[in-house]
Amino acid sequence: MNLGPLIFLAAFFGLAWSWFGMVLTPQIQIGRLQQTNTVPAGATYPVGRPGLARQGLAVYRANGCAYCHSQQVVQTGTVCDVVLTDAGTNHAGLLVALRKLRPALSEAEDEQLMTGLPKTIRERLTKDEADPMVKTLTSAGAKATTWIVPVGPDIARGWGTRRTVAEDFLFDYPVMPGSQRVGPDLANVGLRLPDAKWQLRHLYAPRSEVKGSTMPPYRFLFEKRRIEHTRSSDALSLPSDLAPEAGFEILPKPEAVALVAYLASLRADAPLFVAPLSVAEPVTTSTNNAATNQTTAASSGATNAPAK
Amino acid sequence: MISEPNASTTQAGQATLPTRRAPVPIWLIILLFLLLYWGMVYFDQRSGWFDERVYFPYHSYSQLEQWQPATGAPNMVQQGRAVYNKPTCVACHQADGNGLPGQNPPLAGSEWVNEKAPGRVIRIALNGLSGPITVKGLPFNGAMVPWKDVLSDEEIAAVLTYVRQNKEWGNNAPEVTPEQVKAVRAKIKDRSTPFSPDELKQIPPTD
Amino acid sequence: MTPPSIQPASDASAPVLRTATVSEIDISCRLPLMVLFTSAAKWLVIGWVFELIASIKFHDPNFLADYSWLTYGRVHPAFSNSIIYGFCLQAGFGVVLWLLAQTGGVALAHRWLVTVGAIFWNLGVTVGVIGILAGDSTGFEYLEMPGYAAVLMLIGYLLIGLLGVVTFHQRRERQLTVSHWFFFTALFWFPWIYSTANLLLVTFPVRGMTQAVIAWWYSQNLLVVWLALVGLGTVFYLVPRLAGRELTGRYTAIFIYWVLILFAGWGGIPNSASVPAWLPTLSTVSTVLSLLAFIAVPLNVCETLGCSLAPARRNYPLSFFVFGVIAFCISGFARAGCALLDPNQIANFTWLNPAISQLSVYGFFAMVMFGAIYIILPRLLGVGLPWPKLVRVQLWLSGLGIILVVLPLAIGGVIQEVQLGDARRPFIEIMRSSLMSLRMSTVGDLLLLVAHVLFLANVAGLVIGFYRARAVVTYEELTEDLFKAARAKA
Repeated sequence: MNLGPLIFLAAFFGLAWSWFGMVLTPQIQIGRLQQTNTVPAGATYPVGRPGLARQGLAVYRANGCAYCHSQQVVQTGTVCDVVLTDAGTNHAGLLVALRKLRPALSEAEDEQLMTGLPKTIRERLTKDEADPMVKTLTSAGAKATTWIVPVGPDIARGWGTRRTVAEDFLFDYPVMPGSQRVGPDLANVGLRLPDAKWQLRHLYAPRSEVKGSTMPPYRFLFEKRRIEHTRSSDALSLPSDLAPEAGFEILPKPEAVALVAYLASLRADAPLFVAPLSVAEPVTTSTNNAATNQTTAASSGATNAPAK
Repeated sequence: MISEPNASTTQAGQATLPTRRAPVPIWLIILLFLLLYWGMVYFDQRSGWFDERVYFPYHSYSQLEQWQPATGAPNMVQQGRAVYNKPTCVACHQADGNGLPGQNPPLAGSEWVNEKAPGRVIRIALNGLSGPITVKGLPFNGAMVPWKDVLSDEEIAAVLTYVRQNKEWGNNAPEVTPEQVKAVRAKIKDRSTPFSPDELKQIPPTD
Repeated sequence: MTPPSIQPASDASAPVLRTATVSEIDISCRLPLMVLFTSAAKWLVIGWVFELIASIKFHDPNFLADYSWLTYGRVHPAFSNSIIYGFCLQAGFGVVLWLLAQTGGVALAHRWLVTVGAIFWNLGVTVGVIGILAGDSTGFEYLEMPGYAAVLMLIGYLLIGLLGVVTFHQRRERQLTVSHWFFFTALFWFPWIYSTANLLLVTFPVRGMTQAVIAWWYSQNLLVVWLALVGLGTVFYLVPRLAGRELTGRYTAIFIYWVLILFAGWGGIPNSASVPAWLPTLSTVSTVLSLLAFIAVPLNVCETLGCSLAPARRNYPLSFFVFGVIAFCISGFARAGCALLDPNQIANFTWLNPAISQLSVYGFFAMVMFGAIYIILPRLLGVGLPWPKLVRVQLWLSGLGIILVVLPLAIGGVIQEVQLGDARRPFIEIMRSSLMSLRMSTVGDLLLLVAHVLFLANVAGLVIGFYRARAVVTYEELTEDLFKAARAKA
């Protein structure tokens, strides 16, 4: 029996089977993703990165930053907070409702809860626990919402407010989710460390900003130049043991500037349907300008979590 | 019959032991089925059944829907925006309301959208549209699907309000209430075909 | 070292349709496999130099930091690509070609073309590694070689793979071994995954996160499925012969084959991935289902060896195989454990990930290839190894080295996973606590580098010895008449 063709068919089938499941289906599902909208504000998300940030992505790729830094925020669960947004006019009724929700508190503390709104009344509940509590408060004439809060060690560490999803990487090429966390996760580093000067100093001499860091210095992304007449405004201000000799200054090369622009553009905090998250309503109304769309996303992304 | 090649190719040149055709151990087969069963249960619990919107830690679309933040006081424009982007309307009319030239007419600045009384747009939304139409001076000749079976009166009212009151798009028309949609739906409940633009031109918008 | 007896080609008047003699097969395989195996050994050493540089940078971040070509983010992919494409794949190609010719009883088809293919492949790897160091990396793990290098490698592979298939097709021995299933599939598997990955990631990139999914699919199919196919095929062919017994679990081996190609190809998506939940779930199910293969292989080999390690005691290639099979089994279980027992979903970001991939790529596949090359190459060239004692030294150094690399990284990874789950622990503390594991793995890397230099020395010495012996014979033949005439005069 000539088994040659049979083996070929078996191999073909096995490979086609995994190709179908892991290449074709994801291409149909995720490969045709379009921009989506934040919830509930309806702003378009994501907007493409500005040109300098895109160049920075190429620098990130060329220098293999993804071998030490990931860009995936992990979420292990979601909980609810009950947030009082408006005390209404029925203070007595509201007080009764608050005592029901927080029986352990004194009356004075409950009065406190009714001022300086919005305030979190109860935390870390399931949806089934939180919704009836919100009903109790609203039936007393106040306004309250169930505040959706993603949880997980990454989120608790401040690396993000929600998990990263496919939409966060829609326009990037190449997508480098990262495979190691030798260094911290960078998915929201644009929110966490927006200061470009800090980033440049950190690239030039990581240990000057983070004690004990094992990140290699990227001095080749900078150049040392003689000071012409006055110090350039772009020059790095380094501590004395790292600063160049008198008469010289360290300036970032275009690659460093682009890389820092890319890092500043990294954020994945917009509330989406696939990754629900409560955010404070934006103060300004959204406008249709693409540039300010980012601003809208920024202000809606600044999760001004209500005071506890 | 498959068998090993002849002994001359044996490395050590020794005579090989007699052939033993041991079958696949039965416990391996049993383990295969046990693991397949486990795999199905695991997949059922955690995969969201291939739904592309379900990410861990959510297990199903309905669970994901439950966990959406409440929008607070019902706001027609916000609700309408959500309906628009479901992606009910955005797929054809685009996120900026400009549609696709030659294919899908724009909603931004459209004279059809901005009529004071909403009778015509409600009919379009309910039953769809087919036939040549001129919008903002440009001709289109596509077909729009009906939404009367997919969207409720509240949803249609919300999305029409959102479109008609979208200042970014240059629209400025009065809102649409669910009662208006309900009234029109009752009037045309026997009709199942899409409207054509010429027909709509015959019907006064206040109807 | 006795001079090789280069037998004259078989009687030209014999009918064409006959099984080639063993020496003919070996002669036909000689040139291409010499190129493949010596290049593989060379890339192993080069790659491990890169790894040592990368490893040292953890302890002294200023080490070679001023050279953009040697920054960690470039040296690390240069290492992994050198090892995988330079060593693993080339050694695998050599073993596959030899076995197809050997068991088919026919000479390797068009050996000059195969050699050209091997040269193209090496050119591609060289250009690719230089491209990575220069900053042209594609950004996708295990596929970092830029597109221009991938083209060269694909051309090289097409020559090698096609001629392997032709050799298979021309076989005289129509009966197939179990290894044929594995090898023939591997010949077909690689160009499909490689060209798909390059097309969809480099040439016509897909959108967004799909790139990462396809990159993960590719690396899983290359590192887990393809290496397992070739490695297991080698083991299932050579172990019975070294032990002087037959492969007892023939049907089990076919079962393992089906488990591999049906289930193992779906793995690779980590739990933390920013993709819909069904993808990591399917990957986890796949890693668990593949456990069937990881259980069955060591049992099969164990049975074949008569359930004792005695045959392996004196036989060093067999020891390599046994080590490889044990590493294979452990890596499979570790992978499944990572996918399942991961409450914080971040195991793939810890040192566990590189530990497991090192264990499977090096601990399993490279060790199996060492054993195979130590058997095949001396036999092909007809000379003995120049330093046979060094084989034992290399076995110990490699074994110890890989344990020193994998075990501390694995332990460090588990600790890291636990610590990353505690949000109150400052990140810098977590990073510094893994430095101890890294120190030990750097020592392991040093041992491995020495082992590979010894391997290269043995292989290079083999080839040099072959040419020297051949030169002696040629010289004797050339001067035979002269001496005859001189003696007659005297």
